Amino acid sequence: MSGPAVFPRRLPLTGADCFLRAFDAEIGRFNQASHISQLVLRLGPGFDVERFRELVNGAVDAQPMLRAAVHRRFGVGAPFYELAGAFRRNRPEVVVHDLEAAPADAEVLPAVFGARLNERRSLRRGELLRFDVVRYARGDAGSDLAMSWLHLLFDGAGSEHFVRWLSACDRGEQRLDELPQPGELSAATPSPKTFGERGDAARRWQSWVDGFGAHPLRSLAGPRRRTPQALGCDLITLDESQTEHAVAEAGRRAGFMTPMLFYMAAAIRAHHAVARARSLDPVSYVVPLPVNVRPRGAEAAIFRTHVSLVWFQVLPEVVDDFDALLAELKAQRLAAIKAGHIENGIDAMSFARYAPARLYSSMARRASPGELCSFFFAYTGEFLSGQSSFLGSEIRNAFHVAPVPASPGSCAAMSLRDGRLNVTHVHQHGVFSDEERLLFRASLRSDLCGGA
Amino acid sequence: MLARLPAMSEHTQDSLTARVFEILRDEILSVDSGFTPQTNLVEAGLDSLAVTQLMLSIEESTGVWIDESLLTPENLENAEALAALVHSELEKA
Repeated sequence: MSGPAVFPRRLPLTGADCFLRAFDAEIGRFNQASHISQLVLRLGPGFDVERFRELVNGAVDAQPMLRAAVHRRFGVGAPFYELAGAFRRNRPEVVVHDLEAAPADAEVLPAVFGARLNERRSLRRGELLRFDVVRYARGDAGSDLAMSWLHLLFDGAGSEHFVRWLSACDRGEQRLDELPQPGELSAATPSPKTFGERGDAARRWQSWVDGFGAHPLRSLAGPRRRTPQALGCDLITLDESQTEHAVAEAGRRAGFMTPMLFYMAAAIRAHHAVARARSLDPVSYVVPLPVNVRPRGAEAAIFRTHVSLVWFQVLPEVVDDFDALLAELKAQRLAAIKAGHIENGIDAMSFARYAPARLYSSMARRASPGELCSFFFAYTGEFLSGQSSFLGSEIRNAFHVAPVPASPGSCAAMSLRDGRLNVTHVHQHGVFSDEERLLFRASLRSDLCGGA
Repeated sequence: MLARLPAMSEHTQDSLTARVFEILRDEILSVDSGFTPQTNLVEAGLDSLAVTQLMLSIEESTGVWIDESLLTPENLENAEALAALVHSELEKA
């Protein structure tokens, strides 16, 4: 770097940022909470909390994105990060919680991590990010670290890049003021399409999504309603041999480059098992799959989200046969790509930057009355691949905990870490009974480990 | 878009390698002059979306659809290996 970074005064949100902002606003209005995502590192002994705090404060001083408020001027135009007015006092907290002993079950997460998912954070005040460190006195004195952020600040890949960056700064391989530069903060490569062409693409996208209304879905949570957000998270970790089997099957049956379809099929069937046990007719399953569309060459960009969505719709009779379900998902993905819906989605989200958040989320929910989708799904691949430690401490496990609105009230996010597949099942309190959570887990394990 | 290839008999594995390499370099990946038919494709930035776009371009160019389940790490090692797979699928067609 040749000199100090010069940041623009304001930085408009990307279309995907606005998509996430719309759901943050909806959750605020209906569920008195925020759209918060989380990354969890389960660490061995030796984690240096004071060094971590020092790094976070240094990063926040160097990078106004981490403390910037999000505004829309006079209620019109695209919302933006106010970088020039980002107050240095608005530092993300690093809160330390000292507990006697770690839970005996490695699949149990600290309660405070769940509580963080249900907090109300203010975009307008730049309350974008916070950290919780849980230290355990007994045993080998390991720690759990959660980074919680308003989801529009990072996508999954961006959050991992941020952790990797902090780690590289700790080792002296990078400087806190080196990443990212204003160029890297810019929105996606400008579209070569004219305004009219982009409008047509946005209409095609909306019409595609509206088409799912021919078989309206019924999520396990039911339509959007006013209820306090109370998300909890179940962690399911396959052991190395189970993971080896699941990964091999995913590659063989869905393709080495597209294993997420195998995992998504298992997640649909786990929800179907619950619906069937409840004698609920879901009519159809509609599931969006986030697709990372960062501009080529900007893979290392940390902040801002660059995603589109491929939507899938399957009928319950297809779900009973795993191979038929997988074939259907493959065919629908291919058809969506051929029809240009990934690009159409980017155009639609870009257009919707100018729409009020309320209108945006209502349009997303209009295909099925009040419903958005059957559940959220994400597969993010290898988690922090190649990085074995963080600030002097071994990374024993690591995964994402993705957010979900109270309706559909269920999200399954999967990733791999050190040869183990982690599934985090985030659910709104009351949507799954204890028996249904066990049924969900059993169905998922069965499909992933060889029952399908 | 690239023109559709003539009948299979007129094409060798070498010409397919050249065509697959061209598609990757010009349409799919953002690569510099160091990119060759022997460059590892995943390391060059081939991801799940790009691989499907690549298969669609190959289908348009050759008329053969390569199912994603055939795309093993070995077949995606580089443009040469991928062209060999396309060649063998063309022979079967």
